[in-house]
Amino acid sequence: MVTLTIDGREVRAEEGKVLLEVARDNRIDIPALCQHDSVAAYGACRLCMVEISRKGREKLVASCLYPAEEGLVVKTDSPRVIHVRRTVTELLLARCPDSEVLQDLARKLGIERPRFSLEEGNHKCILCALCTRACEQVVGASAISLANRGTARQMATPFHAFSEACIACGTCAEICPTRAIDINDVGDTRIIVMPNVTMEFKLKQCSVCGSYWAPERQLEHIIRQAGLPDNAFDKCPDCRD
Amino acid sequence: MDKQTVYIPRLASTKERFAPGHRACIGCGEALAVRLVCKALGDNVIIANATGCMEIVSSQLPYTSWTVPWIHTLFENTAAVASGMESGLKAMNRKGVKSLPGVKVVAMAGDGGTSDIGLQALSGALERGHNFLYVCFDNEAYMNTGIQRSSSTPYGASTTTSPAGKVSVGKFSWKKNMPAIAVAHNVPYVATASPSYFKDLFSKVKKAVAVNGPAYLHVLSVCPVGWRSAPELSVRMGRLAVQTGMFPLYEVENGKYKLSMDLPKLRPVADYLKLQGRFRHLTQDMIQEIQRRVNEEYAKLKEKAA
Repeated sequence: MVTLTIDGREVRAEEGKVLLEVARDNRIDIPALCQHDSVAAYGACRLCMVEISRKGREKLVASCLYPAEEGLVVKTDSPRVIHVRRTVTELLLARCPDSEVLQDLARKLGIERPRFSLEEGNHKCILCALCTRACEQVVGASAISLANRGTARQMATPFHAFSEACIACGTCAEICPTRAIDINDVGDTRIIVMPNVTMEFKLKQCSVCGSYWAPERQLEHIIRQAGLPDNAFDKCPDCRD
Repeated sequence: MDKQTVYIPRLASTKERFAPGHRACIGCGEALAVRLVCKALGDNVIIANATGCMEIVSSQLPYTSWTVPWIHTLFENTAAVASGMESGLKAMNRKGVKSLPGVKVVAMAGDGGTSDIGLQALSGALERGHNFLYVCFDNEAYMNTGIQRSSSTPYGASTTTSPAGKVSVGKFSWKKNMPAIAVAHNVPYVATASPSYFKDLFSKVKKAVAVNGPAYLHVLSVCPVGWRSAPELSVRMGRLAVQTGMFPLYEVENGKYKLSMDLPKLRPVADYLKLQGRFRHLTQDMIQEIQRRVNEEYAKLKEKAA
């Protein structure tokens, strides 16, 4: 355990735990969009920047990546932090003006309109990579990834086409902080709309009650991974004995 | 919604606010419901909990399962205590005693503490418009005192105070429609939920605490002991209750009904009833009667949501 100071409060934390978690454990709120407990930290959105001072030197760090250290002094609401947080929000909002989540955040920070010119038609994606990280680390499918660099960077399926590795589980849509991925079940089809591609998947029909209860590809994935017989999922969970 | 049950649960927070080690019975649907509701609520919350199963099992001196501020209240005054907490927080804020931004006040009670004993306090709190969430965990009888019928017990269920026999069909009246009573108070948000549909439950809890004003959430909590059902079927029973139309999932935002699940065809109620010992004595005629009533109520609900 180490002792550090956050906003004038002395707190104790496990060594190596990141500042964002330590702050949240102590009910100090730091906004963050690209952080999620179920995937490794990444530091993409830069909203969680805080000011730290060690040995008389001050600097800004991303609190979702910076580990707690003995004697560290952290400020989460200094003028410099607020300034950076506002600028980051303005930049994100200029990129995704239609995102309700960013609009809410901007309102909280008192931003009426970003000073940067607004981009059009970029489908709410802020490139936080939560979807691609979840696809790789939570599901193990790696069906989507970030492609290109710089301003051309985008979340994409291989060759911008139907992803053969996708099992249609919907984890990417669930984890997306700005709801840039849409998922919808219509009859026997699941439609996943990503910023650059729309994919359709067949749903499996229960042999007893006839309901469409899960995507076929997801069940095939589970059968493959767990070594189950091919007919393991012919019935839905409610019709199984 | 119900088709995303394998990978998405892995995204849920692993932090428990309703800690394990409590004394709930094996297969308890209510403990599961409380745990999921607490997960969705987060840390910034004060809970007033009525007497009932959850209070008994979670707070045996000197232990507690609650990692958030928690007050045990009587059966009848849960909503009144929650009202007081909400007013107290407001007053502290106004007088500058202490500012506690974003603290949510939540009242939790069973079906007895809600639809029977606590109804007048709840009605008062809803009418006064306190900014709080009331969650009713409905296991359809007074389970912790030994399965006595409540007004939330469904028609035909055999309990210790409505035993089925030669002259009795079990409970002789229909289940009280508690969400409709809450809707009649013109509150901003009323919803029904089931822990078997965890994603739906999560989003409803989050919506309910976000609204400004009173919100009411009615959660069906399967009770294997009182319902005489197999403990391993609790989650499936929750799903069957929804799929048969016995406990439809819907939300009412500012008086506007919306069904949470699109069910093209209801399952026969017998699928749900036959798994429960409390309905074991029902004859075909009675099951037909229940089916007729369920169809009628569901059609009414669909009409409201149209």
